[in-house]
Formats: sequence, C-alpha cells, structure tokens
Amino acid sequence: MTAPLLDVRNLSVGIGSTGRLILDDVSLSLKPREIVGLVGTSGAGKTVLSKALVNWLAPPLVRRAGEVVFEGQDIFSLGEREMRETRRKVAYVGANPQGALDPTLPVGRQIVEKLRATVPGTSLLNAETAAIELLEAVRIPSARQRFADYPSQFSGGMMQRALIVDALITNPTLLVADNVTQPLDVTVAAQVIRLMKELTEKFETAILFISSSLAVAREASARMLVLDEGRIVEDRPTEDLIARPDHGYTRDLVAETPKIWTTHFTPPPAADDTVLSLRDVSQVYKVKRRTGFGGFDELRAVHNVTFDVRRGDSFAIVGESGCGKSTLMRLLSRLEQPVSGEVICMGEDIAKLKGQRLLEFRRRLQLVLQDPFGSLPPRTAIGAMLEKPLRVHGWRDRAQIRERVETVMVEVGLDPNLYGELPLGLSAGQRQRINVARALVLKPEILIMDETLSSLDQSEQFKLLDLFARLQRDHGLTYIFISHDLAMVRKVCNRVAVMYLGEVFELANNERLFFDPGHPYTMALLSAMPTLEPRRYRPEDCLMEGEPPSPINLPKGCSFRSRCPRAVDRCAERPPHLTTRGQRDFAACHLVVDPAPPAKAALPA
Amino acid sequence: MASLTSDTELPTPMLASQSIARRIFHRAVRSSAFRVGIVLFVILLLATTFYPELSGIDPTKMNVKARLLPPLFFGDNWSWAHPLGTDQIGRDMLVRTLVGLRYSFLIGVLSVVVTLLIGCAFGTVAGYFGGRIDAVIMRITDAQLSIPMIILAIAILGVSRPTIPAIVIVLGLSNWPVYARIMRSVMMTERQQEYVRAAKVSGANDASIILTLLLPLLLPPVLFTSILDIARMMIFESILGFLGLGVQPPTPTFGNIIADGRKYLMNAWWIATMPGLFLGLTLTSINLVGSALETARNAIHEGKS
Amino acid sequence: MFVMNFLIRRLAQGVVIIFLVSLLIFTLLRVVPGDPVRMMAGGMAPDALIEQIAKDMGLRDPILVQFGRYAAGVVQGDLGQSFVRPANGAATGGATFNDSSRGERAEVFDLVVDALPMTLQLAALALAFALAFSGLVGIAGGLAPGRWPNKLAFYISSIFISLPNFWLGIVLTLLLSVKLGWLPAIGYNGFGYTILPAIILAVELSPVLIRTLTSSIAAQMGASYVAVGAVRGLSRSRIIANHVLRNASVPLLNLLGIQFSGLLGGVVIVEYIFDYPGLGLLTINAVLQRDFPLIQGIAIVTSAIFVLINILVDLAATSIDPRLEY
Repeated sequence: MTAPLLDVRNLSVGIGSTGRLILDDVSLSLKPREIVGLVGTSGAGKTVLSKALVNWLAPPLVRRAGEVVFEGQDIFSLGEREMRETRRKVAYVGANPQGALDPTLPVGRQIVEKLRATVPGTSLLNAETAAIELLEAVRIPSARQRFADYPSQFSGGMMQRALIVDALITNPTLLVADNVTQPLDVTVAAQVIRLMKELTEKFETAILFISSSLAVAREASARMLVLDEGRIVEDRPTEDLIARPDHGYTRDLVAETPKIWTTHFTPPPAADDTVLSLRDVSQVYKVKRRTGFGGFDELRAVHNVTFDVRRGDSFAIVGESGCGKSTLMRLLSRLEQPVSGEVICMGEDIAKLKGQRLLEFRRRLQLVLQDPFGSLPPRTAIGAMLEKPLRVHGWRDRAQIRERVETVMVEVGLDPNLYGELPLGLSAGQRQRINVARALVLKPEILIMDETLSSLDQSEQFKLLDLFARLQRDHGLTYIFISHDLAMVRKVCNRVAVMYLGEVFELANNERLFFDPGHPYTMALLSAMPTLEPRRYRPEDCLMEGEPPSPINLPKGCSFRSRCPRAVDRCAERPPHLTTRGQRDFAACHLVVDPAPPAKAALPA
Repeated sequence: MASLTSDTELPTPMLASQSIARRIFHRAVRSSAFRVGIVLFVILLLATTFYPELSGIDPTKMNVKARLLPPLFFGDNWSWAHPLGTDQIGRDMLVRTLVGLRYSFLIGVLSVVVTLLIGCAFGTVAGYFGGRIDAVIMRITDAQLSIPMIILAIAILGVSRPTIPAIVIVLGLSNWPVYARIMRSVMMTERQQEYVRAAKVSGANDASIILTLLLPLLLPPVLFTSILDIARMMIFESILGFLGLGVQPPTPTFGNIIADGRKYLMNAWWIATMPGLFLGLTLTSINLVGSALETARNAIHEGKS
Repeated sequence: MFVMNFLIRRLAQGVVIIFLVSLLIFTLLRVVPGDPVRMMAGGMAPDALIEQIAKDMGLRDPILVQFGRYAAGVVQGDLGQSFVRPANGAATGGATFNDSSRGERAEVFDLVVDALPMTLQLAALALAFALAFSGLVGIAGGLAPGRWPNKLAFYISSIFISLPNFWLGIVLTLLLSVKLGWLPAIGYNGFGYTILPAIILAVELSPVLIRTLTSSIAAQMGASYVAVGAVRGLSRSRIIANHVLRNASVPLLNLLGIQFSGLLGGVVIVEYIFDYPGLGLLTINAVLQRDFPLIQGIAIVTSAIFVLINILVDLAATSIDPRLEY
C-alpha cells in the first residue's frame, strides 16, 4: 500500500462569518499517478474544493476545519514561501483559460516566468527550450511561433493546451483540473481530455478531474467521487458507479444524463406546406484588417444556405461556436439582411417587406433568446413587458390586452399575479418562461429558439421541453432550434441541419442523421458527444487534431478537410455541394454519391 | 477582456431588487465622503440663498469708512459686521462672495445641462446607429477635444460680449464631446443586449427603443458623473471672470473679486484669498458627492453588489 | 511595417482633425461680433479708413474665400502675420492707426516658435511632478482598496481638483515667494521661475491621474490572472511589478493623451498669472487684442501637438497591450 499523494481529512469550508458550510467534512485521497473524477451540479462546492486543494481560499471563503495533506504535509500549515515552493508540485488548470494569463505578455514568456520562479536556477535558455518542447507535445501547431503569441491570439482550446503546458512544465505530482473542458466546443474538449490523459501518464502526474458532467468525467477517470451539497456521497470505480448508482443524487445524475443511442425518436405527422425557406442565403461581414494598409477583410459568416422548414417541424440548426448559426438566426428574424440569397416567408422575400407586411411577418415569426438575464429589460414590469409587443402591433383596448397577456402567462406556467412585478427575483427558468410568453403573445406561427435552454440545468430543461411540446400540439407551432446540444436535438427535433464555417454540411431527418450520418464532420461531432451509453463512433477515428480554420481567407476546397480523416485530393480542389442521399436527406461531401433512383445501397464505404 | 467565465460556481446574479441608479445612490450614501460633501454643500447652499438678503447688505455698496477691514480675528480692526472683511472700497466680502457663488453655481449647472443635452443626443445617435454617422460625430469630437476648451472659451468670449447666456453656451458647447463619448460607449454595449433584439423582433422602431428602453436605463448613471462637471464648470466660470471675460462688474463673481484683490495682495491678502477658499470649499463639497457617486458607479459596474 | 502603416493612417487622420480645428476657429472668429480692424486701427480711426484697411486685408471677402486663402498659406508653412504685433518688440495694441503697413507685422510662425520651448519646459516639469506624486499616492491607494492609503488618495484628489488654479497660484506666490522667499515667481529669469508654475499645474493634473491609477490598479488586482498567478507559484511582488503595473499603465497613458488639452488650458492661466513668456501668455494677449491670425496659428499648432502626442501615446499603449487596435 503506497502512501497517498494527497489526503484530504475532514475539510470544512464556510462563507465569511455565517454558519453556512460550502464543504462539509470532506475526506478523500489520491494515490500517485491516479486519475480521479469529481462530479456534482453547480453549487455543490466543486470549485471551492478545487481551490482549497491548491490553497487558494480567498475571502469570504474560510476554512473551518480539517487539513489538506500533500506529500505528508498539511498545506495550510505552510508559510508563504514554502507554499510557493510546493506549487511546483501542485498544478492547477481552471475553467477560464483566457483569464489565466496576463493579456499583455506573450504566452511563452509567461510560461518561462513561471518555470523560473518556481524552479530557481533554471536558465532562460533551458526554460525556453522546455516550454517549446512541451508546446509541441500538446500539439500546438508551429509551437516556436506560438511561443511569442499573446493570449488573445489563442483560441479557447489552444489556450487550454498552453495552460496544461504551464501546469506540467514544473513536473508536478498532482494536477487539479477544474472544469477544464467547460468553455470548449465538444470536438475540442474531447481532444483536450485525450491529451491530458496521455501527458499525465508520461509525466506520472495524478489528476483530480472536476466536472459538472458525469459523462465527461467518465471519459477521463477510473475512479469517481460525487459531491452533493458539500459532502462526498460516493467514492467508487467509475463503471460500477454508473451501472449501480447508490445514492439518490447519483441516481438522478445518471438518469438525467441525456441519451442519444438508446432512445427512439418518433417523427411527428409530416405536413407538406413550407412555412419558411432559404435560397442560397449568404452573409459576409467586414472586419478591419490588422495588417497591411488598413482596409477590410471579408469574414464568411453564412454561405449559400438553402433549406425549407415545413409546418409543424422542429427544425434544428446545430454546430459549434463560429459555425454561423447565430448569424443565420439574425437573418431568419430579419435583424440583418443577407448580402445575397432570399429568405422566403408568406411567399415573399422578407428583405423586401415594409410597413404593415413587415409587421405581419414579425407577428408570425418570433424569437426566444438565449440569456435569461440579458433578454429582459431590467426595469420593466413583467406585464408591461408582455404588453409591449401587442401595443406595437396595434392593440389598443386595455382589457383585451390584459386578458391576452394573462392567458399567455398561464399557458407558459407563470403566475398571473406576477403581472405587476419586476423580473428581478426570478430564476433563470422562470425568466425563460417570460421570454417564451413574450414571443407567444402575438400568436406566432414560427418560433426560433436561440440556445434558449443552454443556460438552464437539466431538470429545468426537461420541464421547458415538455412545455414546448404542449404548445406545439395546441397551436400547431413550427420550431427552429438553434443549438449546440446534440442530445437535446436528438430528443425533440425531427429535422437537423449541421453547420460548419457558415455552410450547411448535412441536412437530414433525426434517425438518419444520428445513425447514418452522411458527412464526416457530423460523425466527428457525434463521436465527441459525451454520453454514458456505449459509443457508436470513436473520436480517434473521426477527427484529426487541430481546430477549424479562420473564417477569414478560407482555403480553397472543402473547409473541413484539414481535420477530416477521410479527406482525398479532390477535397482540396473544389468545395463539395449538398448532394442528395435519398429520402430528402443531403450532405455536402465529395464522398457522398447520389444514389441511383431505386438502389438504396449505393453509399460509398 | 476576452471571455469572462466567472470562476465561482454560483451564477453571478445580475439582479438586485433595485435599479442601477438607485443602487449607485445607496452605495454612495453609505460613504463618509458623500456625507461630508452633502452636509458642506447644504450649508453653503443655505448661506448663499439666505444670507445676502437676510443681512440686508448690498454687495455693491461702497463704504469708504470701512475700507480694507481684515476678516475675523486677523489684525486689530476686524468687525463682526464684516466676517470676511471688506475690500478696497469697503464692500462686504462675505456678501460679495456668496452672491458670486450664486452666479457661479447657476452658470455651472446651466452649462452642464447644455453639455448634457448636446453630448447625450450626439452620443446616443452615434452609439446606437454606428457606421458612417458615428464616424463623422467622432471625428468632430476629436477635433474639438484637441483644442483646449479654455482657449476656445476665451477666444469666443474675448471677441464677443460676455453675457450670462453667452458664457453658459460657450462653456456648454466646449465640453459636449466628453459626454458624446461616454454616451456612445454605453449605448454601443447596451444596444447589443438581447432585450433590445427582442424589442426589434416584436416590431418596435428605433426611436421607441431608444426613448422608452435605453435612455431611462443609461442616463441616470451619466447624470451622476455630470455632477463632477458642475464643479469643473464653476472653475472655468471663475477663470473667465478672473480674465475679465466672465459676468461683468459690478456683479461680483469669484473671478472678478479675486482679480481685483490681486492688486491689493500685499496689504489686504484676504480680498484675493477668502473668496477662493469659499469657492474651494464649494467645489470640494460637490466633488466629494460626485466622486462618491462615481466610485459607487464603478464598483457596481464591476459587479460588486 | 505595422508601425509605418499606423503612422501614415494616424497622420492622415490628424490632418483632418487639424483642418477641422482651423475651420472651426476661423469661422467662430468671424461670426462672433467684434471687429479686429477697429481694434488695430484704434477707436478714433474714421470708418472709411477702417473699411479700406479691412478690404486691403481681404476681411470683407466671404468666409470660405478667406479660409481658402488662409489654408493655402498654412499648407506652405505660412501662418500669416499678426494683426497687432510689430516684427520687433512687444505688442502695442494699436493705439496709432497709421502704421498699418503689413510688412512690419510679426510673423505668427516666429511668435509661436519663440514661445513654444518655454511652454514645453513648463509642461514637462509639471508632468514630471504630477507623475511622481500621483504614482506614489495612486499606486499605494490602488493596492489597498478600502484602507487608509485608498481613502487618502480619494481625499487628496477630491481636494486638489477643487482648487482653482489661478487662486492657488496667487496663494502659493503669497506664501512661498512673498512671505518665505523660497521660489521666484513673476516673469522669467532662469529655470527657477518654472518651478512654482509647474507645481500649480501638477496640482491641477494630479487628481485625474491619481483616480485613474487607483481604480485601474484596483481593477487589475481583481483580474483573474492575478489570483491564478499566485496559484501558478508567482509571488505577489512579482505579479505586481511584472504584470499589474504593466496593465494598469495603459489607461494612464490614454489619459495623458486626453489630458494634454487640459494641461494646455492650465498653462494659459498659469502663464498669465506668473507672466511666464510662453504660448499661454501669447494666447491670452492674442485674444484680448483680437489678433485673429495669432489665435488661429496657436490653435493649429496646439492641435498639431495634440495629434502628435496622441499618436505617440497610442503607439506606446499598443506596444504594451497588443490587443489594442492600431
């Protein structure tokens, strides 16, 4: 039996002078080279625990009792100087990669600074060599040049890699990784986790991997701790925990983790009239050029997007950050006009609508926004907020307005007594209900949900999804979900468009998209989805290292080819077009061949 | 700053039971600077409102017999009748100072109002609409900011006649670019808020979004900042008076009293220094209040409750 | 390459600004009441003569024509000639009206160039005083939010900003120069005469500098890289010296660029009080004598300096923080 590397004994942490405890009698231990996951919902005390482990409890957080013994010494008993020496062995990577370094100095220089501060006597040259070697090891392309780049020039994923370098460069024995993948896109997050496991093995570092997602933590670790309201409620091997959750809270956690592969989706009865269609819609933004003699670069935000939305559809537009889905939302809702192409609604190009016709379009198509806080004006009573659209649309009779608003409030599950209240004390879920009510009050036909659920926790999401389903049944609504959450899409959407760098890569019905994706990118996206089910696609097979190219000056050919494991010469020459795969499904890939009309098995290997 | 993911697990509550303006105000009231400032200011305000009339002393009345009396407890011929002494022709310094304060404060407030009207209008338009109109307005503010405002003011007042409206307009005009910039920058961030987008999608037009949604939210904090500018404007008013370009004698103003007193500095130091002390006290009180508000505003904008 | 590109663009913008400034001043001086010829020729001059002089000088042409003529001169480096000042000796104010032949008038360019170094010396000294003092008070205040150095910084800046510069000038002259005899005050007779005016200007400049420093340092201390830095194993003193001060200096630099015109405004008053022979005194006299060409010349020169200083400030700020856009 080896001595534990880290031994937390009966640790309790409270807030200020109140009696409230954030961590309540927490004990855990880590052996050298062990990777342990720690999960819990937001508010369970995960971040506080991770900070306590690295002796970073700042007011109002106060340690009430217990110790954190690292390599035989209680870190709280160390003096400032001793603690600083210990820091070379205890590394920390957090959830805010962009804020971790001084924005005004090159990343490489700061890594070197850290190495030389914590390991006195390291020569500048040695430190630089070590940093560049490690930057190469985390597969940052052209590490030598990136060494001199500033934090703002790194993407989130690249910065997280650089911070892993910063953490590992002093050869630590323990790495506390607090929600490291939270700000990253799924495909990037999957790569970062893989990389971290690989490197810590090489460096013989133990990891405490903290995450709010059970599925993500499972990827990383063999043993799992569950934290609930400041207490450790489970401490078991991962697979065992998932197969047979003991504690009630763990059971909820397992139950609420969305499923993709072991569920079935029943499509709604298909209607055949199109309510909204896009024809080769493109949007280009001008961005100030930072090099050369001023001028502007063109950023391709949305490129030749074409699709139809039918009445009663739940249409999903999915993709990672920067794929153009928000731009598409602005184009659909006529907050912006495309540079070319048409968005057709009510048989007219919406760009040409004016006056009464425009108002009529606004009535038909409404938007439910993402941020439950920013989307409601802070100083307006809820009733007034909901009345406003009616007034804009010419309603004058006060009693009628009031009646309509109250009806809608009841419909979305808001207490009509909130009519005169400000939205200030309400929870995120309640606020999103106000948002839905504001959109519904005009009796629209189409609702665009712009990441409406992404800021809510799982159980709240489920409730709102039920609400959406009911509203759809009652009013024959058409939904357009703009989302990055494939699990949600799998659950509720009958038709899915996958976007990448402004283009629609694949357009298909739910079952086909998930079980027979036509585009390598769709497959990569699916493979990176963390779930508790057996994987259908392995990320290693589906995605190459690297990040999407910049949307300015895109390379010729297919924009995914730099990360595509199946890229061929043709992909570099010309961009693929959406090609039909039969059954109204399409993919934009050279590997897709239009099936001969009757044959169904003509798909390429 | 790039992405600001909060590093606590609790979602940062952007809510509070009060409007931003009210929270700023409450936070400021708790500071000692605000309290000291407001007490001082109220005393001075009461004095300048009532003392000249109650005492019945005419600020322009000469009294050759009571020439160059020193302030209380200085020298040997001081008198209770003239707490701050008298000037070279026997006018009572306290009344003259307090009357000067009236003009100074009046001009300060009015010119800030002018500044606010012009600056906020331009800033709102530039910030909300952006694009070409923004570029034009910003170039004009650049140009005007590059001329020291005091030079601009004396250049205009020096060649025209300095009446009170002229002074107010000149001071007001010379400072508007500052507010145009403040307003523009807050407008630019606020117009991207989702609730503005929601209002647009519901069909509301720009004018109603600006007037009913944005301005009621954005103006009050700017108004707090403008309190500091009242003090600044009062200084400029007194500078103009000092140069002979302010309100003309016989009306007493801080500037012209001090300019007069400067000639008698050697034998009657109080004529030049006492009004300045009063002006300094007034400005300190305004500045304490204004800075306390500004500090509170910054703290609240940085997310401290 | 980037620097060249930046310089060219900013200089081009600067030319636009200077053009706008001169147009603004030129128009203002001509639309406000007050006839410069009357000033020049003296109150006793007959109207016919005044008309004659005005016509000869082109002052009765449309404003745009006058401005075009003027701008053409400025482009060739000719700022025109003073209305009032003879080429040799001090201003006379024009009590006699018979010496209106323009050849003997002083060149505006020469007047400005003579006065400028004096003002630069004063401004540089004032800036040095202000930076040293505000640096001390402001950094201490920023590092101790809520504690006494912070309060001290707050009160010092509140009081300093409330002291009218002309009054402070008089009071300090009375104390330091008349009563104590420590510093020379009126006129200029060697470097010592710069000190007292510079102190007054520094007092005027400090409050904003202190405020900015205090708040930007306090803000930087709250930035996440400071907390994370400690966890990464950097000492507090290293974080402050290498990172916090560096980041906090950017707002300070920007402020200096903006404060320049405030500084010049102060210079005008202080030079007037101390009879210090710089650009400020020249300005006041030019205004009081309605010397239009001189006022215009000074406005153009100061706005050019403003533009240059702001280019330098931005260049410095961008070299510290590369995220700032050129």
